[in-house]
Amino acid sequence: MAAQPVTPPRPQYDWAKLVGHSLKQNGPWATWEKLVEARRAYPEDMLLRGYAEIVRNTIVRDLLAGPKGLQAAPKLTPDFLADFDRFNLTAQEGYLISLIDGRITLEMLLKLTPFDNFTTLFNMAKLEHQKAITIPS
Amino acid sequence: MNELALSLLDNIPTAIAVAREDGSIVYRNNAFRECFGEGADEWMAKNSHAVAGERGWLQAFFAEKGHSVDLDYNGRVYHVERIPNAGGSSQMALSFEDVTRQREAEQAKSDFTSMIVHDLRGPLSGIQGTLEFVLSQETARLDSLYEELLREASRESERMMGLINELLDFSKIESGNFDVGDDPISIAGLLRRSVHSLGSIATRDTIHLVSAHGIDLPMLSGSEEKLTQAIINLISNSLKFTPSRGVISIGAQVVREGGGPRSIVITVTDSGMGIKADDLNNLFEKYKQTKNKSLRGGGGTGLGLYIVKQIVEAHGGNINIASIEGVGTSMIIDLPVRHVA
Repeated sequence: MAAQPVTPPRPQYDWAKLVGHSLKQNGPWATWEKLVEARRAYPEDMLLRGYAEIVRNTIVRDLLAGPKGLQAAPKLTPDFLADFDRFNLTAQEGYLISLIDGRITLEMLLKLTPFDNFTTLFNMAKLEHQKAITIPS
Repeated sequence: MNELALSLLDNIPTAIAVAREDGSIVYRNNAFRECFGEGADEWMAKNSHAVAGERGWLQAFFAEKGHSVDLDYNGRVYHVERIPNAGGSSQMALSFEDVTRQREAEQAKSDFTSMIVHDLRGPLSGIQGTLEFVLSQETARLDSLYEELLREASRESERMMGLINELLDFSKIESGNFDVGDDPISIAGLLRRSVHSLGSIATRDTIHLVSAHGIDLPMLSGSEEKLTQAIINLISNSLKFTPSRGVISIGAQVVREGGGPRSIVITVTDSGMGIKADDLNNLFEKYKQTKNKSLRGGGGTGLGLYIVKQIVEAHGGNINIASIEGVGTSMIIDLPVRHVA
């Protein structure tokens, strides 16, 4: 009789505990990177998707936490202007960078870009994390 | 089983039986014999087989696809439950509780609720209409205090209508009259309208309510009205528990399989206070609410998430909650695209 392929049982992780702990220890960006890896390993895990969304939300909340909120106007950093090839930007990030002139606010960017608002804000947070832009508060 | 255990089982009022997957009964206590008599063997055997592609309940229990079910037998309703950790892998211990009177009482309660709710909606609609009319009259020149009081009355009557509608949905679900139909639904449009309808409340509470989805989402079929109600309910919950300057994002992504769309995953995520792990397990049950105190008042019936779950399941989907205390919560709805008309 041919042996039946055996699917290994999906591990049941306590994502709430793991993600909460990682947020405290490593901060939202390191946690987000780990979650991207975990999502690749467990694409069917709906709870994991939810925890990834919570971390993305935290990142966007931190971006908007300054007193100016959506009225803040991002600026390109000297590092970026000196050596922009060093930054491995996606097409969306490149498009956003092309709009930044130090006067345009986050709110105006949301109106100008064709992407959904959350993706735009998340990409702005990512650019700030990579030190391609600064967002004066 | 030893004699003491057998004697104990024969003297308890609950009907107990041990069955194999093929439906054969290897043990039955006295209460089971009294309830089911000689017809039990045939009945159990019938329920162990798949009928029209659907698993029989006993087969489903063995496949770990269920652990309790309500069944009709000779005009009575029995709640059958699997007794955990009893019976081993080839056989299963089951308890049978006669819940006929309980179910009749629940039906009567449901009918009564439905009637009361219908009767409450009529006069409340009249009050709402009158308030809206007075507030819309530019020539009325209301004193600012009176205007504010009227607006407060209008807001509260709207809230009361929400609670009444929740009760009405609940009674429909309980009576089995909850049909979602098969109209075409544009999920992108539905989410955009849901965000738009609560945008002013989010702005008032200085919360960023943000869309996190594209427009190229496949169509589903079902009830646009009911799904909108479910999404609005989830966003409203997030608004209650998210502090000022927080973020609520509404996302949707297509999950693909074999080159085509398999399902759409909708997420409603907030940067609110999160939910305690103990509360997460039963949040979708009737009358259950988190122990968290709403930041913006407005207690509910405790039926909101129960209704959301019923709506999602009526569309063939499922809902999960991810939450981290002090960080935020995400509601994840997985809706299959096989429902496309």
